[in-house]
Amino acid sequence: MKIIVSILMILATVLIYWLMVKLYNKIHIPLLVPIATSTFVIISLLITFHISYHTYMYGGKWIDELLGPAVVALAFPLYKHRSTLKKYAVSIVLSVVVGTIIGLCSGIMMAVLFGIDKELILSLAPKSVTSPVAMDITDIIGGNPTLAAVYVMIAGIFGAMFGPYLLKLLRIHHPIAIGIGYGTASHGIGTARAAEYGSLEGAIGSISMTLSAIFASIICPYVVQLFL
Amino acid sequence: MKIFNLIWQIGLLYVIYVIGTFLQKLFHLMIPGSIIGMLILFALLHYEPFQNLVKDGCSFLVKHLALLFIPATVGVMEYFSLFQSKGILTVFIVIISTVLVMSISSFVSQMTAAKKKAGCWAEWE
Repeated sequence: MKIIVSILMILATVLIYWLMVKLYNKIHIPLLVPIATSTFVIISLLITFHISYHTYMYGGKWIDELLGPAVVALAFPLYKHRSTLKKYAVSIVLSVVVGTIIGLCSGIMMAVLFGIDKELILSLAPKSVTSPVAMDITDIIGGNPTLAAVYVMIAGIFGAMFGPYLLKLLRIHHPIAIGIGYGTASHGIGTARAAEYGSLEGAIGSISMTLSAIFASIICPYVVQLFL
Repeated sequence: MKIFNLIWQIGLLYVIYVIGTFLQKLFHLMIPGSIIGMLILFALLHYEPFQNLVKDGCSFLVKHLALLFIPATVGVMEYFSLFQSKGILTVFIVIISTVLVMSISSFVSQMTAAKKKAGCWAEWE
């Protein structure tokens, strides 16, 4: 029984994603980026048919399991563009460091200002960082890792949906800048979005995601001490 | 036969991922195993014959990266209570902060990367 449910959930996820990609290619409104619409459709279906997330994950966990090798696979575009990375190394490191500091400080400061509970503050602090690292960071500073992953997903989906509008508004057109914006603010989901612009943007996205994860894990405990 | 090639290549990438996770646990590193795996693969790619061993698998996974995030994003449904009462404030905070990070980091890089083209950063090369 469990195996049938698993296969059904995997097929449903792939089918819905495929349909959403078709839809997106047809009307091409950035807001309807497939990851956002697929998530919305799947959650709606699960709620309608009273299926729990736990049951969905019988199948979902197999797709989730591929995320690990997929992150490993990001080395390929990185390798392909290694000379560009070297050329813009200073620009990349500087922007990611600035972005990571802004991300940690602005999130914590606003939360303190609005009188949010300490546990929530500690869980939302690393929201711009890729989920496995964000969960580790939250664990170390004393927040709730599962909740941290939720905030990470919100930052990711929001970036993928509204990033195109924001970057257009700010007249960001340099491929390096596009990759950095998505990778630093919206980690892996942003990187997937950046890869839609082109292979270079995707490579820069993955390097930004990696750098910001490393950098955030080093400074986050100190930033937290500073504000809390 | 193409599908078997793909499965074998993804399997190989999975092995690299497992090695990365193993190293992370062994040395208690703060970097996740997947990113350590990425660094390992990056090093291996310098050996040219190795590239053909993973090329198709890599482009397949990177192309469908967004799909692989869906089970994690669907997990938000477990925390709908967050969108009620005071919790909604934290969602807004996360969104505003995301806008700030994306704007400022891409702005800084566009300024510095564009300058580079004009040759102002020549001393770094």
